[in-house]
Order: sequence, then C-alpha cells, then structure tokens
Amino acid sequence: MKKKAALVAMMSLLMGYGAVGRAAQAPAATQPPSPLAYTPPPKGTPPAVDTPAQREALAALKAKAVQRSEEERKAHNSMVTPTYNFRYGKGNPYTPGNIQVQGEGFIQPGAFPTAEYCAVCHQEAYSQWRQALHSNAFRTPFYRTSVNLLIRDKTRGIAFARHCDSCHNPIGVLGGALTEDSKVDRAKFDSDGLTCMTCHSVLKLNLTNGNAGVEMGVPSVIVDENGNRIPGQVPFEQILRHPERHSQAVMHDFLHTPEFCAACHKANLPDTLNDYKFIRAFTAYDEWQQSKFSQRNPLTFYTADFTTCQGCHMKRNPNALPDYGAKNGTFASHRWLAGNTAVPFYYGFDEQLSKTIAFLRAGNYLNVDIFAIKKAASDKLIAPLGTASYSLAPNDTVEAFVVIQNKNIGHSLIPEVRDLYEAWVEFTVKDAEGKEIYHSGFLKPDGMLDPRAHSFTNRPVTDTGEFVDNHKVWTIQSVAYDNSVQAGRSVLVRYQFRMPAEARGAVTVTARVNYRHLRQSYLNNIFGKDHPAYPVVEIASRSRVLKIGENTPEAAEPGDNPDWMRWNNLGIALLDQFQYQESIDAFSEVIKLRPLYADAYTNVGLTEIVWEKYSSARRAIRRALSLDPNNARALYYDGLLQRREGNTEQEIADFRKVVEMFPQSRDARRELGITYYQQNDNPAALEQFEALQQIDPDDLTAHYNLSILYRRMGKPKEAAEQQSMFVDKKADPGAPTYSLNYLREHPEISTESIPWHLHSDMESNAGGPQNGR
Amino acid sequence: MGDRRANRTGPARGLATAALGLCLLFGITPCDAANNCAWINEATASGLLGGDAVGSFTEAAAEQPAVCTFVNRGEAATHTLRITVESISDAHARLATLAQACGTDQAALPAIGNEALVCAADDRKGGLGERVLGRVRDQVFTITISSTLKRDPMLTREEMKARIYTAAEQVSGNLF
Repeated sequence: MKKKAALVAMMSLLMGYGAVGRAAQAPAATQPPSPLAYTPPPKGTPPAVDTPAQREALAALKAKAVQRSEEERKAHNSMVTPTYNFRYGKGNPYTPGNIQVQGEGFIQPGAFPTAEYCAVCHQEAYSQWRQALHSNAFRTPFYRTSVNLLIRDKTRGIAFARHCDSCHNPIGVLGGALTEDSKVDRAKFDSDGLTCMTCHSVLKLNLTNGNAGVEMGVPSVIVDENGNRIPGQVPFEQILRHPERHSQAVMHDFLHTPEFCAACHKANLPDTLNDYKFIRAFTAYDEWQQSKFSQRNPLTFYTADFTTCQGCHMKRNPNALPDYGAKNGTFASHRWLAGNTAVPFYYGFDEQLSKTIAFLRAGNYLNVDIFAIKKAASDKLIAPLGTASYSLAPNDTVEAFVVIQNKNIGHSLIPEVRDLYEAWVEFTVKDAEGKEIYHSGFLKPDGMLDPRAHSFTNRPVTDTGEFVDNHKVWTIQSVAYDNSVQAGRSVLVRYQFRMPAEARGAVTVTARVNYRHLRQSYLNNIFGKDHPAYPVVEIASRSRVLKIGENTPEAAEPGDNPDWMRWNNLGIALLDQFQYQESIDAFSEVIKLRPLYADAYTNVGLTEIVWEKYSSARRAIRRALSLDPNNARALYYDGLLQRREGNTEQEIADFRKVVEMFPQSRDARRELGITYYQQNDNPAALEQFEALQQIDPDDLTAHYNLSILYRRMGKPKEAAEQQSMFVDKKADPGAPTYSLNYLREHPEISTESIPWHLHSDMESNAGGPQNGR
Repeated sequence: MGDRRANRTGPARGLATAALGLCLLFGITPCDAANNCAWINEATASGLLGGDAVGSFTEAAAEQPAVCTFVNRGEAATHTLRITVESISDAHARLATLAQACGTDQAALPAIGNEALVCAADDRKGGLGERVLGRVRDQVFTITISSTLKRDPMLTREEMKARIYTAAEQVSGNLF
C-alpha cells in the first residue's frame, strides 16, 4: 500500500508537464502535495539492511539514473554550447559569478529535483520556502528591474548578468540560459530561484570570496551503500527505506556554518563586471565574523554566546505541517526571516509578512536611548536622562543626544544592499496637547523620506558623481557616505529644537528607528509612481517626557540599558565621530560606575591610542591588565603600545597570546605578521599572513606582505598573484573626488556625510532651517 | 489615446532593426522574424505549448503594439501563444479599456506586473483560450494561449490557467 502511494506521488510529479504546471501556480497557492504515509523509526534504530535483491534493484536504478543523467547532459550541451556567449573564454562560462559545477559543461535544469518532489516529505519546509526570499530570489520585480538594466545596457548584456544570477538563479546560470538567443526553457526554474536542490546540491565551498563561491554537485537525493551519489529523483520508497542515505546526499555539515551563507551574502563587483576594479559590494559574513556573535574577534565592545547566521535566521520552531526532517516536532525555519517586507507584500504572502515584521520588532536588536540633553549657552551635558535632575523653561534651546545601539544584530544596520534599503531615525517633539514642535525623519506625501533625516544608508556614486539610484552596480566607483552602524557599535544622533514660548506642562520627545524595504525612489523606478505604499516597520523606539520646570529621576523602562552601558555606548559613538576627549569622558563615567570593569579602561586606552596619546593609553591598558591579565582585548592594545616602545619581545608575547585565544582574529594575525616581518622572521610572518588570508581573502596587508615574502622565497608566480590582487582591491585614490562632486551638489546629504553633525530646526546662518521642519 | 512607441530595448532592438532592414530590402511586409521575442524565448514558449513552437515577431507600428506569436502545430490541435506589448502614457486607463472586452468572467491576477487580470478567450470556432491583460509601468501587455480544440486533452482550461500564469510571469519579468 505504501509502495503504491509512493508510486502514485512519483508518477504525478514526473508525468506530463509537471514542472511547468507547478511553476505556473499562483504565488499565493503554497499548498504542497499530499504527504506519504510514513512513520519514522524510533531513535537509535540501525539503518535497514538490504537483501541481495534490494541491492541489485538499487544498483540497476543507479545505473539507469547515471546513464539518463549523462545522456541528458550531453544533449543539453549540444543544444546550448554552439550559440552560448563565452565572453570570458570557454573555461569561464559562469564569470563574473564564482559558481562552478562538477562534470563536463552546462548542467541541464531538469537535473535538479523539483521543490514539489521534496515537498512530498518536507511539507513544512516547502510551505515556508515558497514564501521566503530564496524561492523568490529571481522572479520579483525588485530584482528583475535591476538585472534587466544590466542586460539592456549597451555596454553590458546578459552575459554580465551571470554575476547576479549565480546567486539569484543558479540553475539558469549553470544551465547556460544566460546568453543571447537562449535555447533553454526558463519556465522550469525562473519561478523557484534558489530551490531546495540548489543549496542541498552544493558539495564544496571555495573560500569565502562570495559571488556564489561554491561548487555544485550533480543533484542527488540519495547515495548507494558505498556512498556513491545517484543523480536525479528516485522513488520515495528508496528514501523512506534509507533516510540515512538521503541525509548523506543532501545534508552536509557546512550547511550549518556561516561560511555557507557567505557564498552569496558576500559580494564584490569584479573588474570582469565593471571594467574598472574590485569594489566591495557587501559582506554580511565579514560583519558577523567581526561581531561578538562569532567569538572570533577579541576587539568587540561586548560579548555574547556564539551564534551563527542560521541561529538567528533559521530558528527551530514547532512544525505546523508534516515534515519528515523535523526533530522532536521542531524544524529549522526555511523562511529565513530577515528584513525583506517588500516581497511578501507584493506577492500577498501575509504569513511571511507578519512573521517578518514580528522578527524585526522582536529581537532586542536595537536600543534607542534618549540619553542626554544640553541647553544652549551651556556646555553641561545633562545625562543620563532618567537619572539626572534638571530644569527646563519656555524658550530654552535644547540639544537632545540620541544614542542608537546596534545591540544584537550580527551584522551592520543596514546590511547588504544598503543603497536600496532604508532605515532611519524619526525624531519628534510634541507638546502636552500632542501638537508637533519638531519633526525629523518624516515621510513626505509622495512617500519620499525627509532628505535631512538621519538614515543608516549609503550613497554609491558614479565616476561623474551621480547617485546610483537604480542599483546599476557596475557604474559604482565611489561611496559618498556610508552611515550604517556596525554590529555592537553605537551612533549618536543630535537634534536641536526650541521649547515653545507658551509651553506649559511637558513635552514628549520620541526617537524611533524605522525600516522600509525599499527606498521610495527605487520603488518608483520599479513600478512608476503609482504603486501602493510599502510597509514601514518601527524596529525600536523610546520616548521621554521633558517637563517645564524641575525634572527628577524616574524609573527605567524594562528595555533600557543600565547606566554604565548607556555611558559606554555614548563613548563608542563619540569615538566613531572622532570626539576623542568627550569619548574618554564618557568611558570615564563607566569607570566610576564599574571600577573593576577592565574593558572600561581598555576603552579609554584604545581611544587614546587613536588620539595618539600613548602615555595615558599605557596607564589605562595597564590598569585593564591588572584587573584581567588574560584580557585578549587589552593584550592586543598592549601589543600595539609595546611596539611603539620597541619592546619587541613583549609585543610578540602579547599578540601570540591573543592569537592563541582567538586563532581567527584577523587583527591579531595581521599585527603579529607585521611584527615578525619587521624582525625579518619571514617564515613566521608568512604563517600569520597566510592564516589571515584564510580568514579574510581580501585583506590588503596580507596581499601586500605575501607578495614580498613569496618573492623573497623564489615564488614569482605566487608573488605576482598577490601583487595583482593588492592592486585590484586597493581603493582607487581618485575615487573620493567622485564623492565630493556628489556632495557638492547635495548639501542636504553632505551634512550627513560628516560624522559630527546636528539636526536642527533653528535658522542657519544662510537663513532657513538647517534640518527637520 | 496616449502615445505609443516601439517597445524594445538593447540587443533585442538591434536584432529587430537588422531584421527590419532585411525585410525592407526584400520588400516583405509585415516583417516577421523568429527567435527574437524580447519577452519570452522560443524554448520557453515551446514548453508552455507542449511541443516545438515556431515564433515570429512584429515590431510596434503606429497605433499597433509589438507582437510575438508562437505556434505549435500538432496532429490534433494547433496551440498558439500570442503576446502584445505597447507603451502608452495612461497605461492604467488603456488596461481598463482592454479589460472591458474580457467581459464579466475575469479575475485579478496577483503579483503580475503593476496589475493584471485573467479571463477566458475562447474563439467563435470552438477553440479554447485564456488571456492575461497586464501592465508594467507604462507598458500594457496581453498574453493569449489558445488551442483549436475545445476538449484538448493537453491544454485543458485548468492547464491553460496554470501555463498562462507562467507566461505572464516571464513577460512581466522581462518588461520590468
């Protein structure tokens, strides 16, 4: 009976026009096929032992599957290859993408088992995936508009789109569909983007270079008793009899690692795309690696439990639908919840949309702190609000210090394609009747954001200083500013407003961080101006009441940081805004509140190092080490200070100790390599720089020094490779000029490019409000 | 009625221009050229029609949209996929006008272009058909899949609905 059910399900999938019928279903229809009757064996049950007849049957099935797969691949190549545009040579059919596939030539799209085939046993995974970004990676208007511009550009064309589609539509790229006059039936894969068997067919990761740096195997859902992969779809009874062989074919340890995500969540613009040079596009992976969640970086301001990308974006939840991959009734989410509200909004995937919004709001990701105020004509910082007492009067000019901490995001705010996404601070001041006194970060009636809002975004520009508004990434040559907040760091946003002359009672100030996927002008590029308003999600907010008259301390709210952390975050923000004395003052307040907290002294010390005040830096770092002799962070900065003093032995000892504790610390490896290099200890330097390059394949110091070291070792080829990568990846010294051209034309934005700036509704010298309304 | 203009860009426009040149040289009008439909390729159209299809393309002309036609001639039935695209200043209004011809048996098609709807497009000779009308920005498109056979075992009404959705996703995706 079970066998018959399996056969029926199999036939319905393989017969006729199953693949296109599936692809053709309306997007809201996410119901997977009926499940097979199956009871998983109890835990600890050994794998089934096949009879000779069963082994023979499997061997016959394998032989047939291999033959069919090879014949179909050969036929597919005969059809595709003659007219394929090998723009980058026969050996690089997928360039500018980094994707590769095992075997000879292109792989036929039909080699990939369909998502509906997987759905028979993995209903939960299928239903989640269908609404998730991965399944919609190619077909959405948001992506198609960008990639179509590349395809239609007179200087580019569809061959260049392999750069984008290697991650967004790998079956199309590997199938040779990305060429003029394509011979490939696209209906079979365009609608599924990253389907189950793209991720689950990857066999190897090629470093962490990104741009789809993976090697795909011939898709296979089961191996034989010797571990040999059997290509294509097989009858379900084979999988149900040997789930362990199914796991061996489709589940690899690296699927659980951030390095796997890095394959596509790290991207650069190579010279093969832009005819210019390597430009870093985004790298959520490196940001994670430098965050507290990786536990690989000793220099973070705070610590946390080790958490991978999957730990946040693939949390286990109780499964609502049958899924034979579930463990103890829970299943790792295949929704990959993150920030994209646009795709579920467009497709009407209400469940995905509501879960995405809940995800954005739920994670304690950001902390918004209306930390302090300053009154005009006074240098005194009234801080921290809630603890300090102060008085206010009508007509007072007030400067509010809002500190926004990227507290628990394992990457920057905003990550990745931050020229398209939009997060900003909305700051309001309202009187007791709710009348608006000041408002920054509002949306205009046409949906555009107040141009003077403090936004966590960037502005890539072309070589003529034009803002790249429509994601024509191949034209980007510089970035006019980048106001994203790295993981664990904080930003200070200052607002100035005047208390009304007639003010009585109190005013309420509110700071909120809003997020919109995507920027209004980009949505207008896609749809024209007549599209519905896309969701704006408030990620975090905080309000405080400022009374006219006396203000006394008040109880903290549950989400508030303790006062020492509030001061610490202010110090971090001031450090990043080059306000060194004020930063040290803030960290000193942390010392007052937590005199035994070693990191507070380290924070003072590192700020003084940056400020080139080495004597006082030494005192602070020594104090940190006296409190915590094995503090890797303090040891690292001590190593830098020992170098300045010429204490090479101690310098090496410090850095070595940090490397022992944090073998994947790129900073410690880099500095230790430099130390050895300066001591002419070439083998030891080589070891550090090679290790550094494994951690970060784009590290310029590693490229530069390895180039010299390889040459000294008589390895001219390796030396030339490193030299070439150094030249390609090093920032173009002329590029900032393009940014200046842009900023000169956009005074409302140029203020935002200066780290220490003020948002104000007061009259500027030139007349008119400086900011806000 | 708004302004209409040829609706092709990049390489497709180049190919079409070359084809047009050849047509003018040999005095053939209207000019058809296979395999250069910008909105769906022949292989995909063949898949949708259930067998090898022959394609032709007609450039937009005054008051006439650009047209791609793919025909699969089988023993029992002929299957056709026809796509028209026109650029027009008030595309929404144009779409509403076209929708009137759809009659009352029409349904909104979610997540296709800016807006789209689907309706039956059976012909008077007893053939079966489905049509999608849609818009991407200022480009109005129509897609029709039809069979000359009313009880076509391969292209049933349900199957046509599924396939025209795929066609609509391809066409609108390429128009974005």
